[in-house]
Amino acid sequence: MSQADDIRPDPDELLAAAISEARTGKLKIFLGAAPGVGKTYEMLVQARSRQAEGVDVVAGIIETHGRAETAAQIEHIPILPRRTIQYRGRGLEEFDLDAALARRPALLLVDELAHTNAPGSRHAKRWEDVAELLAAGLTIWATLNVQHLESLNDDVARITGVRPSETLPDRVLDLADEMEIIDLSPADLRQRLKDGKIYRADNASRALEGFFKEQNLAALREIALRRAAAHVDTHVRAWMRRSGVRGPFPASEYVLALIGLDDSAESVVRQAKRMADALHSRWAALHIERPADPEAAARTARHALALAAQLGADTEVRAIDGTNLVAALLDAARARNASHLVIGRGAAPAWRRLTGRRLAGQLLQRAPEFALHVVPAPNVTSRRRTPRQRAARPGWVPWVAVTAAVAIATCGGVAMGRMLPVEASNMIYLAIVVFAAVFWGTYPALYAAVTGLFAWDFFFVPPIYAITIESPQDLVTGLVFAAVAVLTGGLAGRTRAEASAARTRVESLRRIGAFSRRLGTPTTEPDLLSEIAHQGADLAVRAVVLTTQANELSLQAAQPAQAELDEGAWAAARWAAEHGEQTGQGTSTLPSANWRFFPLHTVREKLGVLGVQPDAELDEPRLQALEALSDQAAVALERVRLATESARAAAMQDTQVLRTALLASLSHDLRTPLTGIQGAAGTLRTAWDKISPATRTDLLESIELDVGRMARFLHNIADLTRLETGEIRPRIAPVLVAEIAEAAITRLPDPLHVATDIGAPLAVRADAALLEQSLFNVLDNAVKYAPGGSIVHVRAAAHRGEVAISVTDEGVGIPPDDLGHVFDSFFRVHRGDRTAAGTGLGLAIARGLVEAMGGRIEAQSPSPQAHRHGFPGTVITIHMPQSVGIPEV
Amino acid sequence: MSTLVGARILVIDDEPQIHRFVRPALEAANYVVERADTGAEGLRLAASRAPDLVLLDLGLPDMDGHELLARVRGFSQVPVIVLSARDRESEKIAALDGGADDYVEKPFGVGELLARIRTALRHCRARDQVPEIVRFAGMEVDLALRQVRVAGVVVPLSRREWALLSLLAHNAGRVLTHRQLLTGVWGPAHVEDVQYLRVYIGQLRQKLGDAGRLLGTEPGVGYRMAEATEKPGANYVEPSSA
Repeated sequence: MSQADDIRPDPDELLAAAISEARTGKLKIFLGAAPGVGKTYEMLVQARSRQAEGVDVVAGIIETHGRAETAAQIEHIPILPRRTIQYRGRGLEEFDLDAALARRPALLLVDELAHTNAPGSRHAKRWEDVAELLAAGLTIWATLNVQHLESLNDDVARITGVRPSETLPDRVLDLADEMEIIDLSPADLRQRLKDGKIYRADNASRALEGFFKEQNLAALREIALRRAAAHVDTHVRAWMRRSGVRGPFPASEYVLALIGLDDSAESVVRQAKRMADALHSRWAALHIERPADPEAAARTARHALALAAQLGADTEVRAIDGTNLVAALLDAARARNASHLVIGRGAAPAWRRLTGRRLAGQLLQRAPEFALHVVPAPNVTSRRRTPRQRAARPGWVPWVAVTAAVAIATCGGVAMGRMLPVEASNMIYLAIVVFAAVFWGTYPALYAAVTGLFAWDFFFVPPIYAITIESPQDLVTGLVFAAVAVLTGGLAGRTRAEASAARTRVESLRRIGAFSRRLGTPTTEPDLLSEIAHQGADLAVRAVVLTTQANELSLQAAQPAQAELDEGAWAAARWAAEHGEQTGQGTSTLPSANWRFFPLHTVREKLGVLGVQPDAELDEPRLQALEALSDQAAVALERVRLATESARAAAMQDTQVLRTALLASLSHDLRTPLTGIQGAAGTLRTAWDKISPATRTDLLESIELDVGRMARFLHNIADLTRLETGEIRPRIAPVLVAEIAEAAITRLPDPLHVATDIGAPLAVRADAALLEQSLFNVLDNAVKYAPGGSIVHVRAAAHRGEVAISVTDEGVGIPPDDLGHVFDSFFRVHRGDRTAAGTGLGLAIARGLVEAMGGRIEAQSPSPQAHRHGFPGTVITIHMPQSVGIPEV
Repeated sequence: MSTLVGARILVIDDEPQIHRFVRPALEAANYVVERADTGAEGLRLAASRAPDLVLLDLGLPDMDGHELLARVRGFSQVPVIVLSARDRESEKIAALDGGADDYVEKPFGVGELLARIRTALRHCRARDQVPEIVRFAGMEVDLALRQVRVAGVVVPLSRREWALLSLLAHNAGRVLTHRQLLTGVWGPAHVEDVQYLRVYIGQLRQKLGDAGRLLGTEPGVGYRMAEATEKPGANYVEPSSA
């Protein structure tokens, strides 16, 4: 690597700098070690001096906690009215985010960054409100106590014995452009407390003995100072990297948090985060998923992974089917080139402790290249931990059934007068164990083994009716029975669990496959949206699909059709659509909504959201299926839209071609008569006296003729438009071809040049008026192109249930390449610029009319009847269904 | 062909409606009209009847208008006015560069047509005479003294400006294409440099003040100086300035 490469600025850092520089809103955090150090007071004092400089300062939300000094400072600062949220009959006052966004002060003060918003607010946490305000470009000052930082949660709990319930992710500190630490020595703080400046006297004395113990405060103060220093350090390092300064960066350390299934998982994550911070290294959290993992434990692991992601870690979940956990762990660690592994001490099963098969031990043995950190099990009961849910066990049925089976076997054995040998009765109980293992898993099997063993010993083994065994032979039999029963039960249980895990996986694969198949079928957007809603409702009772159009979200499909969203659900839906995150029930954004929303986003655009309202809380497989559904739905929707778009583009292009042809035609077909009219009128006006009366009359007639030509052109355009919009509805009846031909010919300017050859009274099924118009257009065209004096022939003949009406001219014919186009709108066979006067519409209209009546029209050139040395000529033939009935004349 | 009156005009157009009003209009203005409905017939009449002017429709069914023009130019310098559509600029330019004297856009008024015919005939007649002063409303271009006077005051011009103005004044009332102007003023190497023209025409209009409006633009085609109010003959005597 060259010297130049070495000092090249790190692109990631540049990007981060660009993002934070592009963000116009700045965040300043007033960080305190404990409540009462005077963060809010200090913030207000500084804000007032800004106000004095003329800055538009608004207090978004300030908690004075009844402290007089603080209340005095806020008097002169405008305060944003709070929003009242009704929750369980109480009105909770909260910071009004939308009012702040609307008011847009130059400087907004927000107290207590770690505050948890009332249910029904847009965000679960106040810091999320602040993040949104920052993104909107507002400058914010906020206060925060260091104990609320997520990664310090365990430390604070250990130091003070109180686990802070309100936490916020450490990366919020990274958002801060400026941080000011509000420092007060522990002694001074306790003095303030004693003076009643922080809490009322009765609370204060309790606090002095609890949280505000001197050593607690000293520890918290140290943590706060270290945190602030780390923040400065981060900024300095970022600056060094941005500027390409070659600094003494730590070697590439990498911390990997191994998430187990026990309660220490979250502690492991926090420890790993602290280590990564201290080492200035990257870090990740890894969880190895095994089919036999109990659901409750798996949920704990997922929470820990979510926390890790929140703290800025890469997260990875690997699924393995076997039992070799250690190999899988080391594999992942080596793949990430990790240097430090963090694991929990955890609660290993007793038998593992006995065999020394603890994970930590195995890792120590097999992975000498890693530094191994074992985190102690948490010793403070978490206030916010959800009560641990017991793993789903079979209900009472297996236990009763096993008990009954053992009882029946025992009674049967006793009734038969103990005819069976002792060993044989033992086998019956073993059979019960195996049955229980196969049908109900490990625990009922073990229960069957224990009850069976006792029953066998009590009723069959001498001495009978006593739980003692005399003969060594029976003792061996009993022990073997116990061993076989335990092994069988365990094995059968695991097999069952694996089979069920495999079934779940196959099921989810099948579902995903089904999604892509079902969503691949619809070709129109409404069909697709209703299919998406259908699939969603299959998974969660009710489902809706909303799409974003012109920044407005609207309900497009619902299953069942009457499903509706209330105001809260709409807010959640909009949030999901805009930010591409899941919202509503079971998420951290607007969790009070009774719907859950999945964004339908692709790389290209935000298409909308899928909302579901499940009957019960969504379990993991259904959640995964819904996520897969929303992913596939987004892709399918994009595909359908692109297809529609390209079809529209093709149609537009056709329209464009037609429009160009129309303009060319207008230019030619209107210009010629207009020139005639203008010229004749001009001549009449300027030279009236100098021209003969006969000439005047001729000029006036010429004007009439040209006006007629223009009218006919416009009439043709109108006809064509009506044909294309389907306004013409033929009235089909039997009509005589000879009559139609005669009517059409008499409309021609020079009927004498047309010869008819129509045999027997042929009749066709057609609309008389439309057929006459079609035939007239064909004749008009033929006469126009026929050389002067030549004859146009009209013939009709029946053939295979059709009547062919053909018009033959002796004109210049049509080149073979153009034959296919003569019926296109505005098509004109190219013969220099000027052709016989015509609009290029006549044949297109003829075809439209004939097809509207169920017939067809075709062109042939040269004409089969052409003279060998004359013009090639053209035949245009109209085919109409023959009518058997002859109309009454 | 010493008089404007009685000049013989050949009209070549395949559209009967055009002939129907052009003939009485021209006859009322005392011209003699010859009618041709096809290119071949037009070419024959141009040779046999020696017309004083030809009106040629560029869109003929049997022969390309440009080809016909080239063949007429092969034996005659008769002024040719082409009839063309507004949306066919390249066709007009090709015709003008190919030797046509002027063009009229369809649909056209009789008055306009007659004015163009008069201008073309006058130019033809004055072709061999070297005028000394071309007069316009409020401006005189003195070709002998090589100066231009606006309201009697001499306007100083650069060499190229004078060359451009004198070329336009010499052809007052006629359209000159970009190519003709560029070739005439800058030489054949610069026929594509239309931006020169725009710049110099702009400068000329500015220097001439009010008289600048006499320099008309024919969009996409070229420029046309207004009709001269008076065309000096060989024995034209300037009024005494005393």
